[in-house]
Amino acid sequence: MNHKTTLARILGTTVALAAMIALFAGCAALQPAEKPKALTPTDRGTVLFLDKYEFKRPPQNWALMKNLEGGDFELGFLVIEKGSFPSQTTFMFDEEPYGGSRDLENRAKYYCTRFLFNTGIDLRVTKQEKVTLDGKEAIALFMEGENPNRDEKAKSKVYLVKKGNRIVSFVCTMWRPMNGTFAQEPFDYFESFVQSFKFLKKDFYENFEDELKQAGL
Amino acid sequence: MEAHNRDLYLYKRLSTQVLGVSMDDPITLKHFAESLQLEFPIISNVLPWMGMAYGAYRDKPPFLPDGTPNWFGRRTVIVDKKGIIRFIKDGSPDNKEILKFLLNLEKEFRGKK
Repeated sequence: MNHKTTLARILGTTVALAAMIALFAGCAALQPAEKPKALTPTDRGTVLFLDKYEFKRPPQNWALMKNLEGGDFELGFLVIEKGSFPSQTTFMFDEEPYGGSRDLENRAKYYCTRFLFNTGIDLRVTKQEKVTLDGKEAIALFMEGENPNRDEKAKSKVYLVKKGNRIVSFVCTMWRPMNGTFAQEPFDYFESFVQSFKFLKKDFYENFEDELKQAGL
Repeated sequence: MEAHNRDLYLYKRLSTQVLGVSMDDPITLKHFAESLQLEFPIISNVLPWMGMAYGAYRDKPPFLPDGTPNWFGRRTVIVDKKGIIRFIKDGSPDNKEILKFLLNLEKEFRGKK
């Protein structure tokens, strides 16, 4: 079945059933969307992104990818590498990785059924391990796959991280032609990015849960 | 659909039930829901009375770029406890907007109690 076609034909109807307890009006408004700014270097060898995150960025030849109005990821970096198309590597932080489960194991299992699905890459998990990132429970997924029909292959490392009541992800994917060789250095930059990543502010969902709590919900 | 699935624990706190409606047949929808691990009901509305009632069924222009009717456009509708439509938006849902709207709706409802 074609999910995308079906998805487009789905009408999402949300029915709100109001609750019946005490009033709690006048709660603080949600934080307005922040205006995008350039990366700001710190004296710790890291950069600040929109005053929301702090991390070690890859070298300057890596282009910043930022999400301004919603989309598939929050921020990331891209480098076009030497060699035939598609020799490039991207890595990113994504607030809303595939899936809905808030259980790490279940989410990881589902995530692997959707990741790079549209590329036609026959992806396989080569290794999976439980890790801790900045004190947060996480799962690291190592994946590799090929699409001989398009003469390309990919190698990925994904961290699914438990953050409060939700799961976020860090994703690195290296693309090569079938006869190309995967390199380690870009994954090292990714690792440095992930290991140094700090959340400087509460995200939308953490703020929203605070609002719910204030409202007695 | 996945985004709604992710936010179910918040919808629950907002006394909200999510329903998906589609013109696909029940068997197709069963597979669709299982493949996406959806944890909310999806209604098969092959005779699209529900889509018509909520304005999502379109047999008149504007059609899709290839000239075919866009029979069941994607539309998000929020109905309050009294059955009044409070929110309609076409296209991919913005879940953060929906959550904020539901929170305000809940506060409004509580204010009237």
